[in-house]
Amino acid sequence: MANVLWLQGGACSGNTMSFLNAEEPTVVELVTDFGINILWHPSIGLEIGHQVTDLLNDIVAGKVQLDILVFEGSIIQGPNGSGTMNYFSERPMKDWVKALSEVAGFVVAIGDCATWGGIPAVPPNPSESTGMQFLKKQKGGFLGEKYVSKGGLPVINIPGCPAHPDWVTQILVAIATGRIQDVLLDEYHRPKTFFTDFVQTGCPNAISFAQKVDGHFGKRGGCLFYEVGCRGPMTRASCNRILWNRTASKTRANHPCLGCTEPGFPHHDLVKGSVFKTMKYLGFLPKDVPTGTNKLAYYTRAGFEKVMGTAENIMGVNKEHFETSK
Amino acid sequence: MGAYKELNISPVGRVEGDLDVKVYMEDGVVTRAHTQAAMFRGFEKIMAGKDPQSGLIVTPRICGICGGSHLYCASSALDTAWKTHLPSNALLLRAIGQATETIQSIPRWFYAIFATDMANKKFANKPLYQEVVKRFAAYVGTSFQRGVTASGRPVEVYALFGGQWPHSSYMVPGGVMCAPTLKDITRAHAIMNFFRNDWLESVWLGCSIERYLQIKSWDDLLAWVDENESQRNSDLGLLIRAGLEFGLDKFGQGVGKFMAYGTYLHKDLYQRPTVEGRQTAVISPGGFWDGERFFDLDHLQIEEHVSHSWYTDTPASHPWNEPLPTPLPSQNLENSDFNGKYSWSKSPRYMGHAAEVGPLARVIMNANPNNLEHQIQDPLFLDIMRVKGPSVFTRVLARMHEAPRLYEYINQWLSQVNLDGEFYVKPTERDGKGWGATEAARGALAHWIEVEDGIIKNYQVVAPTTWNVGPNDNEGKPGPIEAALEGTEIEDPHDPVEVGMVARSFDSCLVCTVHAHDAKSNEELARFKV
Repeated sequence: MANVLWLQGGACSGNTMSFLNAEEPTVVELVTDFGINILWHPSIGLEIGHQVTDLLNDIVAGKVQLDILVFEGSIIQGPNGSGTMNYFSERPMKDWVKALSEVAGFVVAIGDCATWGGIPAVPPNPSESTGMQFLKKQKGGFLGEKYVSKGGLPVINIPGCPAHPDWVTQILVAIATGRIQDVLLDEYHRPKTFFTDFVQTGCPNAISFAQKVDGHFGKRGGCLFYEVGCRGPMTRASCNRILWNRTASKTRANHPCLGCTEPGFPHHDLVKGSVFKTMKYLGFLPKDVPTGTNKLAYYTRAGFEKVMGTAENIMGVNKEHFETSK
Repeated sequence: MGAYKELNISPVGRVEGDLDVKVYMEDGVVTRAHTQAAMFRGFEKIMAGKDPQSGLIVTPRICGICGGSHLYCASSALDTAWKTHLPSNALLLRAIGQATETIQSIPRWFYAIFATDMANKKFANKPLYQEVVKRFAAYVGTSFQRGVTASGRPVEVYALFGGQWPHSSYMVPGGVMCAPTLKDITRAHAIMNFFRNDWLESVWLGCSIERYLQIKSWDDLLAWVDENESQRNSDLGLLIRAGLEFGLDKFGQGVGKFMAYGTYLHKDLYQRPTVEGRQTAVISPGGFWDGERFFDLDHLQIEEHVSHSWYTDTPASHPWNEPLPTPLPSQNLENSDFNGKYSWSKSPRYMGHAAEVGPLARVIMNANPNNLEHQIQDPLFLDIMRVKGPSVFTRVLARMHEAPRLYEYINQWLSQVNLDGEFYVKPTERDGKGWGATEAARGALAHWIEVEDGIIKNYQVVAPTTWNVGPNDNEGKPGPIEAALEGTEIEDPHDPVEVGMVARSFDSCLVCTVHAHDAKSNEELARFKV
């Protein structure tokens, strides 16, 4: 049995909506069969008004045990650090989070807003938003670099815009079933079990990436890295291993990966020319190259592949690998 | 003079976002109400000065429930600004995305958000209460799990074309990103069929979709309930019987004026997207209904008021002419001055009127005798409005009424996708003004954009909840939810479930909180989340 409290700050509820799509287990099974006791949740909690405030006060006072605090949405600190742009139960939400994080067994930040600040934190950051323990790549965030919960871990970050429902449910089940020691965190506090491989792992266009075959919108086949800004090769997430909505992933639907599990999403802060376009030096060299490669080495290898591809086309080499049928 | 009380309810749960409500009561009846949106993120300010396509990434993240609807607007706004060419396939796949998101929301909203209130102890003395609890109680109700789980199916279809739900950006100016294959289309049909067999016909209707769609009037609907045991005992049959028995048709009237932009741009009628050509190209018709007459929808009739919103005062103006909002210091509900500014929401007005948006507005527009041949023609809700009028019950019925028809459309549109055709025509970027609109599950949603020097100069979003939950306007006239709360009888001020039901019947996209106060002593009696 684990008591879970789920709160939302500067949120769109997207992680909650994603969570409700969970399959293994479903949200209802999480409650009825896996011992997750949802103390309260803004979309599905039954308590209202005073009952919620009383519950929060009881948790802070230690009268109700809080095993897991799940937080969705940015921590809104505006204006001028007051947090009054986001009241909840008559207090700035940030004050509740501070108090609750001191008594929680584990704190789980869900989605980019809670982990790194997300879209609300894009300049000019009108709500002075930050993540729980990071602001973009910078460690610290709202709770500070040194924060650890009672259970001895820093904030567990499950990023993504939104997070995949299974990433959330599996971590909740791991905590509830006493497997927290198996949850290893990377430098951005992401559970390694989901965030070690890249989105490119399992992408059906990986071979087109290797052979430098361009993809485009509205076209079958080809790699979206070269022209429309796919970040699959530099984004750690299991989107192509654990599919979305049972059926798909962005890159499987010819949608470039936006890199939403990496701190800094939306990358380049939406500056002109950065949205669904690969940003390039000299008009042809991608500014962002696959993680783990040296830029010069990458350009050399990619240039070789490109030239070879063109030469093969001239020679009439059969390239059946890249043809996709309706 | 009866007992005068104020009720402060904070938070009002089971809506999305942050909403607080203050109600003033006399003899247990609400005489006045104020709604307060309690959170500000400033998305429009974030987009200013950025890449013109930023809205495709940013705006779906305004609301995780309506992400596909925001995307439909964001791509349309750029289509009109950039004067793109849209292939039929793109129009179909966008409509399918919008429709699957909406049909997903129908069972999810009904079971997770609304129906659990019908299991409230307030109704414990009613004959149908035990049956309602058995089916609709949270988590353990026999229909709760089935409905919530079924709600995930339609968005699996969305994911086939968009990659994931929520938060895809697959609709782009000039078309869609995807180029589906045969197996995507056949799989989509199969998933929708599963949704029909597993919930829509078996649990919800208790009859075929075809039979249900024959209903044309309130009397037809009542006759349908009594036609056989299967229909009588379906969840819809139970909602109608229990809804009337519990008196849900007796409160939550609202402003009595309705507005819809309409949506689902027809595959052959919007290949050259223009602002002017939109309203005749939609399949689900738009319009404004003042309680008696229908008016054609003209987006230029919309103005936003901010005199009661925490933004620097500006004259009421059309979104294209509005400055980006400058936030002012806010307050919690307890300390708010309701004669001054008291909400982060603005107050949009149509021809100067507060207007309710949402499924009820849409099904009223379906009954407009002037609808075009390709548009929905369905007289049912004009009849229900005449016989029963607006209420919590009518609003819920309207919401649920959309599911069977959307199911039919989704299959029809899937069958019209031409796998040999184009899905995307690369547009030329240019400066200009654009407008994109749609019907999100919970009502009229629109984006206005102005691109100058290749970057966003102005971006204005007016969401359905802004229409419904907005505060008083410049003339002090209440917004639709504020008005709908007036006259509501509150049986137990310590558990004012009626207020919650009114707010939830609008499916507000905010986390709403209602505070109940004794108006004389100003003692807080209760607060709760809607």
